[in-house]
Amino acid sequence: MSLDKEETRQRLKAAVHFTVGQLCQKMGEVHRRDFSRQVIAAITETTFRQCDVFATDLEAFARHAKRSTVTTEDVKLIARRSTALSKYIQNKSEELNQQRELKKKNTGKRKSRDTEEESRE
Amino acid sequence: MAEQQDTAPGFRKETVDKLLKGFFKEEKNKLSGDAALLMAELLKVFVEEAAVRSLKQAESEDCNQVDIEHFEKILPQLLLDF
Repeated sequence: MSLDKEETRQRLKAAVHFTVGQLCQKMGEVHRRDFSRQVIAAITETTFRQCDVFATDLEAFARHAKRSTVTTEDVKLIARRSTALSKYIQNKSEELNQQRELKKKNTGKRKSRDTEEESRE
Repeated sequence: MAEQQDTAPGFRKETVDKLLKGFFKEEKNKLSGDAALLMAELLKVFVEEAAVRSLKQAESEDCNQVDIEHFEKILPQLLLDF
């Protein structure tokens, strides 16, 4: 059991490492500088530990709201320390909401079309 | 894999979901889909911020490569901002 847990941890860390590498490369290209492998590893480690802090906070926020599911409202609270970040996350959240409503509309239309066809048949 | 290379780099929703759930104290706690997507965005900003600040530090010291010392210098403020 603990071995499995350790393995998933390593795999998750590898996934984070991969994404950090990609993001750093993208940034480096813009500024014409490259990152040493040590820096990539350090950013990965920091991100991983920061996730622990985030997860603890998210859990506490959800529990405070008497929920067992973490929602976007809890994530918005995570970004409360910086105004710019808070605004950015709020906008992203609204974007997600709009996307979901669009999808709902589309599936709704499709459904009504389906029922129309069925009634024709 | 090929699909991910086409799109802009970022964390996958499933990765974020598993990552956060692994850190939860109570195992029955869950994460909504939108919350996972939003957390993926937040983590991307965190990493980008770490990268850009390290880059700026290296730039101010006239170094061509971003090294661990540059990241060390920006780390305290980075953690205070998140």
